[in-house]
Amino acid sequence: MPAEATGQGAGPVLTVRNLRAYYQMRYFGIFREVRAVDDISLEIGRNEIYGLAGESSSGKTSFIKAIAAANRPPLNIVGGSVRYSFLDRDIFRLDPQTLAAVRWKHLGYIMQGSMNVLNPVRRIRESFVDFAFRHIGLPKAQFFALVAAHLERLHLPPDVLRAYPHELSGGMRQRVTIALATICRPEFIIADEPTTALDVVVQKGVLGMIREAQQEIGSSILFVTHDMAVHANMADRLGIMYAGRLVEEGPTRTIFAEPLHPYTAHLIQSLPRIGDLAPKKALGGAPPNLAEPPPGCRFHPRCPLAMDICRRETPALTTLAPGHRVACFAASPEVRPAPPDEDAGRADGREAALQPAEGR
Amino acid sequence: MHGYGIYLLKRFAQFVLVVFIGISLTFFITHLTPIDPVDRMVAGMTTFGQSDPEAVEAMREALRALYGTGAPLLDQYFEYWGRMLVFDFGPSLSSFPTPVSQLIGRALPWTFGLLATCTLIAWVLGNLLGGLAGYYRNNLALKTFGVVAMGFHPIPHYIIAFLLLILFGYLWPILPISGGASQQVERGLNLPFVLSVLKHSVLPGLAIILISIGSWFMGMRALVSNIVTEDYVVYAELGGVSRRRIMRSYVMRNAIAPQVTGLAMSMSGFYNAAIIIEYVFSYPGLGRLLIAGVYAGDYGLVLGVTAISIVAVSAAVFLIDVLYPLFDPRVQLS
Repeated sequence: MPAEATGQGAGPVLTVRNLRAYYQMRYFGIFREVRAVDDISLEIGRNEIYGLAGESSSGKTSFIKAIAAANRPPLNIVGGSVRYSFLDRDIFRLDPQTLAAVRWKHLGYIMQGSMNVLNPVRRIRESFVDFAFRHIGLPKAQFFALVAAHLERLHLPPDVLRAYPHELSGGMRQRVTIALATICRPEFIIADEPTTALDVVVQKGVLGMIREAQQEIGSSILFVTHDMAVHANMADRLGIMYAGRLVEEGPTRTIFAEPLHPYTAHLIQSLPRIGDLAPKKALGGAPPNLAEPPPGCRFHPRCPLAMDICRRETPALTTLAPGHRVACFAASPEVRPAPPDEDAGRADGREAALQPAEGR
Repeated sequence: MHGYGIYLLKRFAQFVLVVFIGISLTFFITHLTPIDPVDRMVAGMTTFGQSDPEAVEAMREALRALYGTGAPLLDQYFEYWGRMLVFDFGPSLSSFPTPVSQLIGRALPWTFGLLATCTLIAWVLGNLLGGLAGYYRNNLALKTFGVVAMGFHPIPHYIIAFLLLILFGYLWPILPISGGASQQVERGLNLPFVLSVLKHSVLPGLAIILISIGSWFMGMRALVSNIVTEDYVVYAELGGVSRRRIMRSYVMRNAIAPQVTGLAMSMSGFYNAAIIIEYVFSYPGLGRLLIAGVYAGDYGLVLGVTAISIVAVSAAVFLIDVLYPLFDPRVQLS
């Protein structure tokens, strides 16, 4: 099961093993379970940008919340482990004080750059104090000098410190959150759709800045977005999620050059290319209802290559080439069925259009 | 502070406009009704006993001159405004010849002290507890308070006032149930008088607090339980910002702005409720004065209290508006 450590340097920064995180709800006595993250294992190396792709409701955000131990009920961790190189134990076994001390110092976070990420009634300088002051350990004056120098590296004038979030443009706000996430030079940064709310021109600048900051402080980034074009520009390695599972993983170049999973192939084909005038085909159907996922491979109801075995058995994530893993029977006859799932018998294969509830 | 200056100017214009319309309305409503107060008064005085018609006519003329009801409507209106600007409402009829403004001046501190203090106490307490209840959702004491507040909330204010009256004035008589202070103590800034005032204000004050605290509590709890799922709160939690800091500067700070607006908007409602509550507890404030004026047909007194109420409530709303940018920096721009 474990992937080859493709990251540079010694050992991965993040090791996720068989992580399961389900939304567990009880409505009028009826227990409902939405398997947003189902048996995901992956490793992210030092200094690496790992891209995580997948359409809406494929479980990307739930996965992020789970590995950051930021999940709140009804999203519960059902099984598996999440280990970081800077922690001596599983992140779920930390007491709240230690976890709060680790956050931002070692584990940074960049969120979608909407109006709401920064507290609307607090000046930017106060946000920097709230998030970073206790980790930096400098007197106030020196702390603000450091922050101003850091902002300048992201091409922000020092007056933004005195501004309120609503006084800044969307691109500036996004750069402020990048500055906020990198000021403590954390080993690991989670970037959740950091450019989705921005127009393409600003997007390009912001992506460049994330890369620059990452190279300068040498941290690893888990970069999550549904935008394959962004992944092509940013990620060293790419993981594709579908319906709560990791269906393919490999170096970005390899994935774009020869995708093995039909879902990945579809995602890449949907990208526009200069000179290509052929109309883009939409994938029929909708992502499955994760409360009652179809039996076997979860992609089979929408898959053009679906075979009999796909409807019965769940394909395991198997290494087909060095560093390239895929979970698909059609990709290679060598793909073995996954060890039997305790839930395989319960699902009825109904292809419901119901989306899983992604509560916060 | 350029933006703030414009904001201030706009709000002030609004305040002036509301007062102008409100006071004009009181004039036209009273003057366009078919009831002529002078005729009514004369009729009241001549119902019993014989009167010399000439003397009656002389009295009618004298009253007309006193109240200025003989002149054309528009002239009366301008004259009315002229007197209004110096708070001259003429002599009171029921306590002739004391001027209405003097009666109001005597009652105003009582109403202002009681209503302002208790509204503020209820607002602060309700928001604080509601905010905590929204953030710490599993706290048993706060949950219990929520249930109690929800139970009290729909009871009309006059029923609450009567319940308190019966409970603490009759069944368990530990508190004074009428008046603003004991008659035995000397009025002035001395300890026995202050204590007596406090003691007399407990029941009416409690009634005002009880009717309003529940709505603040529930409003704030609902606001906070929405705000805790906002991106900036989630982000601060991911950032390891301390819970106390998140509660104070992220959750409460953002939830308080709509509650400030709510306070401004419910000001007149509380004022109305306070008038009834004052009457129930015979509190020597504007409410009792107004109702006594209505019963006595004291035209000038009712007009005076109404005008003062319009100015006072609008001024309170204006004051809250002026302070609003302190709670929400975003309004300075718009």
